[in-house]
Amino acid sequence: MADFLRRQRQSVLTLLMLSPGFAGFLGLFFYPMLVTVVRSLRPEGQDMGWTLANYVEFLGKPGTRQVILLTFGLAISSTLLSVVLSVPLTLVLREKLWGHRFFRLTILIPITVPGLVGALGLLVFYGSRGWPNLFITQILRLPKLNVTYTVPGLILFYLWHYFPYTALTTLATLEGLDRSIEEAASVSGANGRQVLRHIVLPLIAPGILAGSVLTFMAAFGSFSIPLVTGGNYRPLSVAIYTQIRSFSPARWSMGSAMSVVMAILQVTFLSIYMRVLRRPIA
Amino acid sequence: MNLLRQYIQAILNARKLLIVTFLLCFGLFIYAPFTIMLLRSVGKDWFGKAWLPPTLTLGWYDWAWTVGQVPEITKNTLIIAAMAVVMSTLIAIPTGWAFGRRGVPGKEVLLSLILLPRMIPPIAYALGVARIFYRLHLIDTHIGVALAHTAICAPYAILVLSSTFEGLDERVLEAASVCGANAVRTFFHVILPMVLPGILSSVIFTFTNSYNELTLTLMTYGVHTKTLPVRTYLAIGEGYLEVANAMAVILIIPSLFVLFMIQRQVAPEKLVGGFKGV
Repeated sequence: MADFLRRQRQSVLTLLMLSPGFAGFLGLFFYPMLVTVVRSLRPEGQDMGWTLANYVEFLGKPGTRQVILLTFGLAISSTLLSVVLSVPLTLVLREKLWGHRFFRLTILIPITVPGLVGALGLLVFYGSRGWPNLFITQILRLPKLNVTYTVPGLILFYLWHYFPYTALTTLATLEGLDRSIEEAASVSGANGRQVLRHIVLPLIAPGILAGSVLTFMAAFGSFSIPLVTGGNYRPLSVAIYTQIRSFSPARWSMGSAMSVVMAILQVTFLSIYMRVLRRPIA
Repeated sequence: MNLLRQYIQAILNARKLLIVTFLLCFGLFIYAPFTIMLLRSVGKDWFGKAWLPPTLTLGWYDWAWTVGQVPEITKNTLIIAAMAVVMSTLIAIPTGWAFGRRGVPGKEVLLSLILLPRMIPPIAYALGVARIFYRLHLIDTHIGVALAHTAICAPYAILVLSSTFEGLDERVLEAASVCGANAVRTFFHVILPMVLPGILSSVIFTFTNSYNELTLTLMTYGVHTKTLPVRTYLAIGEGYLEVANAMAVILIIPSLFVLFMIQRQVAPEKLVGGFKGV
């Protein structure tokens, strides 16, 4: 009996300790999400009644398909590019050449500085008066290259911003790799390319995938970059914000419906991704 | 034979050259925006096709300082960040302890539930946050903005601290009690020094998250609670690019300090998942 009571007291204590975390979760995430869902089912500008009109309007609009395609396109292409950049970069950094610490720190820069600063810097640098364009027009004497406010430009900016997730995870996996496996392969007569193709890449693939999930997640929800550098290309996040800021009165119900669609898309895509991965993400 | 050696040497050199070029391009890719931002913020009459600003000035900083009210806004930002850090840490210490050391049933599921706010883009629940805060009159208060930040800061703090507490070595605690230390003594002399690095890194990450946060801030800020990112965004919107650049440079300084701390205190690999790009 005493033992039972003691166990009971222990579980109550555990529950008490968990409660701040779950209070935060319920109050700051679950309840707002619930309010968003409810709002999305209300007619615009009214606090009563239920309707699906917002979803019908949003999903039926001709622009919607483009917005969703743009959001996915930007996220997927920047994720793929981040893998393309990260693999050679981490392979080089693994060798611990002179100055590798500096470049390790460099990887951290895009995720430590505020997103807005990066967006502004990229906007100014790649703009019509930035150095790349001066180089093209002054030295190569070619016509001006439009990077800002275009889709390829946005992909480049997303890459700048979100590749560290992939790079850091890949680097960690690569450094955890047992070098003797590679040595065994090259002793057995495999050349450098074969070792890379058949030994190293398959072994670090889980790390690359786990990192790319994080890059995808961040890129899909990206807000400040397309807000500042997107121009007329508005992915879902900016489109939601536009509903609140650019319409008067603000279209809360419409914005909420779009938010719900965005959350569902994100969760669906991530669960497919994780099903494929078969491993939890950190 | 000699020729062959030279040939191999040439390939090796070329490989080195390739690596150096690659790293230089990478460095340029990352740092170039900052360089030009720095130049923009001190350049005067820099129009048209000039590569470098013709005259230098600190006028834009002066402008940002007085007209842009940077001192007051910095104060706001730091107050909000401090509040968010304190709230997240206070939430995360008990919850992280329970997750790390008390054998919560269904831990994986519960932990992924807690991490849900980091998986779903903040903009998806920002509208709900804004509506609730309007009703509770939390819009345009420091505590309101900080609460909104806590929504994304707390989950990560919980994650970091639960793994920190989990890593505590049971044997060391036993050794302490064998040597006759009571609970208070064990806490201050054994547990605290062991978990302090973990708490410190959680604080660093929550601070950075709150400091960089724009999405939820844009939905909850007001005249009295403009943060530095919001002010910079407004300056871009107003078209004062030079002033915006000056503010952005000011905005970077604490980030560089954080970067320095990270490099001293924590392994960069631990950072993954630590930041949510917004």
